[in-house]
Amino acid sequence: MTERLRILVTGAAGLVGAEVTARLVAAGHQVTALVHNQPVVVRNDGTPLEPDAVTRLSGDVTKPRLGLPEAAYQALAADGLDRIVHCAAITDFGLPDEVYQAVNVDGTVHVLELARAAGVPLVHVGTAYVCGERDGLIRETELDEGQRLANAYEDSKFRAETLVHKAQADGVRAAIVRPSIVVGDERTGVVRDYKNIYVVLKLATEGKVRSIPGQYEARLDLVPVDYVADIITEVTHRFEEAAGRTFHAVGTPLTLRDFSDVMAEYPPFHVPRFVPPTSFDAQRLPRRERAYYERVMTLYESYFRRRMRFDDSHTAGLATRRPPADGQDFLRALIDHCLETGYLGAPPADATEVLARLNITGPDATSAANATGPTASDVNGAGR
Amino acid sequence: MILSEDYLQNLLDKTIPQIHSVANCAVVLEGSIAEGFGNSSSDIDFLLIADSDADLPTMPSLLFLDGRRVEVRTRSVRQLAEQFSAITTDARDHVGAVPEDLLNRCQRLLRSFPLRNPDLVAKVKGLMSFDDFQDTMREWWAHHARQSIRYALALRELGQEEEAAAWTEAGLLQAVKSWAAGRGETYLEPKWLPMQLDRLGDLSLCDRYRTLASVEASGLDPAEYSTAGVRLTADLGVAGAEPDAERITVARATGVTTWQTGDRVHVVRDKQDVFVLGDRAARAWRSVVFGRPLGSVVAVADASGAPQAGPQIAQFLRFGLVKVAWKGEGPIVPAMPLAAPSGPVTPPPSVARPIVTVGGAAVGGEEGIDLVPMPARRFSAAAMTLVWSNVLVENAREDLTGALDREQWSVAELSARRILRAALRGVLSAYGVNPLPPDSEVVRRLSLLPAGADTDEIRAKARHLATLTIASTAQGSAALTALDDFVALVRHTIGAHSFPSSFDSSDGWRQTLEIGYDWLRLGAHLDADLPIDEASDLLSSGGAQPHLATT
Repeated sequence: MTERLRILVTGAAGLVGAEVTARLVAAGHQVTALVHNQPVVVRNDGTPLEPDAVTRLSGDVTKPRLGLPEAAYQALAADGLDRIVHCAAITDFGLPDEVYQAVNVDGTVHVLELARAAGVPLVHVGTAYVCGERDGLIRETELDEGQRLANAYEDSKFRAETLVHKAQADGVRAAIVRPSIVVGDERTGVVRDYKNIYVVLKLATEGKVRSIPGQYEARLDLVPVDYVADIITEVTHRFEEAAGRTFHAVGTPLTLRDFSDVMAEYPPFHVPRFVPPTSFDAQRLPRRERAYYERVMTLYESYFRRRMRFDDSHTAGLATRRPPADGQDFLRALIDHCLETGYLGAPPADATEVLARLNITGPDATSAANATGPTASDVNGAGR
Repeated sequence: MILSEDYLQNLLDKTIPQIHSVANCAVVLEGSIAEGFGNSSSDIDFLLIADSDADLPTMPSLLFLDGRRVEVRTRSVRQLAEQFSAITTDARDHVGAVPEDLLNRCQRLLRSFPLRNPDLVAKVKGLMSFDDFQDTMREWWAHHARQSIRYALALRELGQEEEAAAWTEAGLLQAVKSWAAGRGETYLEPKWLPMQLDRLGDLSLCDRYRTLASVEASGLDPAEYSTAGVRLTADLGVAGAEPDAERITVARATGVTTWQTGDRVHVVRDKQDVFVLGDRAARAWRSVVFGRPLGSVVAVADASGAPQAGPQIAQFLRFGLVKVAWKGEGPIVPAMPLAAPSGPVTPPPSVARPIVTVGGAAVGGEEGIDLVPMPARRFSAAAMTLVWSNVLVENAREDLTGALDREQWSVAELSARRILRAALRGVLSAYGVNPLPPDSEVVRRLSLLPAGADTDEIRAKARHLATLTIASTAQGSAALTALDDFVALVRHTIGAHSFPSSFDSSDGWRQTLEIGYDWLRLGAHLDADLPIDEASDLLSSGGAQPHLATT
């Protein structure tokens, strides 16, 4: 590091936000952590950041001026910052559209307003899945290719990124980092929150969900949280090189066949059948499995059909670190950690217990699952 | 030494003319006689040392002189230097990985008796200090002792007391060799251990070892023996093998995967061998969670309806389906003294017939861990063919009833033949015939099946049905009845009696697909041949019912 920067990190308590904050602090920068209601920033491995390591601001990205008191906002806007790293986002799936609008879209509008007012470069954390349901190679230079977006989450992140592009045209200097599905640490598999793919893994390996509509050749791109944080940090440091460009922070794609083969290595695990979507009929599932399918699996269905591959030439050109070389080994590390903590591999739990963990009261419940989607950041922080 | 130097010099004089020797080479006597052991039947081992960089052959020359077997080896100084250097390097990385032969060669040289050119002998012996070598030997034996005792402790957790005692005996021998090596007794072969201990003097540890040198002679029961052996191992200075249930965990065996079809659990080893588990064995297997203490895995298995899971998990261990590990230090890899780790045991193949049923491989009993008597890929391909043949039977039967309704006798006759052939494809597959003969041959190739009441009846009826003609309603009706009876017989024989009537209802088709997908999942893992293109469609393009595809 050559200079000590003043950096605002939104969503600083989130999975990615906390790791980015920790790296920026370790690099000697003066970090202001915008958080919603978390008193401390906790790293992925559970270690809290020292309270005096960052300046903690309690705010809300959904509100004008990021929900900050006028004076605090003006202090930031008036030459108080060198960078903004916008990690705050809602990543849960299955929530009402207005929640995504408020946090992911309006939140980005408010962050852009600050960047514009302060004349400060912005590092925007999006998602690689703004590609929607496109197949084939997805380039970092592409955004609007007329793709179909699978859900309100993707739609909101697409619109947020579009706003960043517009702001760039108006003079805001920005770089975009697009992570894929953020999961545990590359080496240890450690993850702070068992969300998104972890929920699917739990239901599948415990045999709660036996049939999944999907293609064996479909690809899921899992990326280690530490790698994502490294890329965001690198882009923040080397903003002059990164400005105006987009960077895919993606891993090594795993096909559903890879998933199936690795899951089969664990004696207690059930391996789901991947059924071609055209012959899958949820109505014919056993009642309990149907409940899991409708509450959880439907949120991810689209991801089990896609066969995209993310090009990350920009990232490879900027960063020294590369993603895991062997996707199956990485998946093993993730699963091994889940076994270690007891998240997976526990004696078959009663169905009601799993439903309870998913915030579903029973097979006939109508509440939304607390499942999360593939993205960089986390619901924590300055989101809701 | 049991032989005098004069005798040895004389023997060497007779030896040298018979071999290609290098001028000014040094000669030493090495091995048991040089150590001070040996007897009248011991070999004479000469090592010729050339003061050069040459690559001399490793293979010894064998001579028979004076009624004794004389073995002559040759090494250059460079080769010996490389041997010593390799020990130092390997020991630094992982002492347990130092090859036994390398240690043996160096040990014999360091403890050899010079017969020619003592200056050169002293020079090569000076390439490694005996103290350093002694330390390496002590640690090398201790490593193996630790592994054996840890393995014994794991077996005790699994209730395998006799096998545990055998490993304790091995570990104890390794431990006492470590202890003796630390006191200068580095000779590798255990066969002179009693003399080594005698030379060490009247030490109480030697006495304790002598009483525990063999399980049988100890007079203790296996459990008592193991307890005493583990205690003595620690007293002999081998740390890290104390009983600690929390430290022994189960660990992944690379290349082992689990595939369930219906209720039947199959475990595939290295994509080659398929083990099929009986219900209780399957429950024990499903309880194996990597990283968890072995004791708690057994307890969970017991609680999940697999009482006495310990012996079954021990069998998984022997077959290389799972490993045990010492927490924080990786898998336990035991080896008997001076033997390579034995590797997984492969049991004799199962004799249960037929080999494959729609619901999975045939298994001998509830606690069976049976090796399917055919390679994994062919097993998987045969199973998929079996399932698909049942779908084809259903499909052809529909065609037959439709043709009979419309009095299309020729179409009916063809459909009847298709039913017969599809059913026979299933029979052959169930008995492990894969790939199948062409359809025109399936009746004749029933000769491949073993004799038996069911198979004999199938053969006889198939020959009769192959000549069926249908030219009237009465013949059609009789043919349908005969074919239904035949399909029922076949399905009873091949364990497909519960096969859903795939085309009767959408539920039936869904059940058929589920059976098919269960098998295809394994087939995909093994890259097995799919029976026909339609089955491949199930994987990739929709799995819609073929006869409904255009409606």
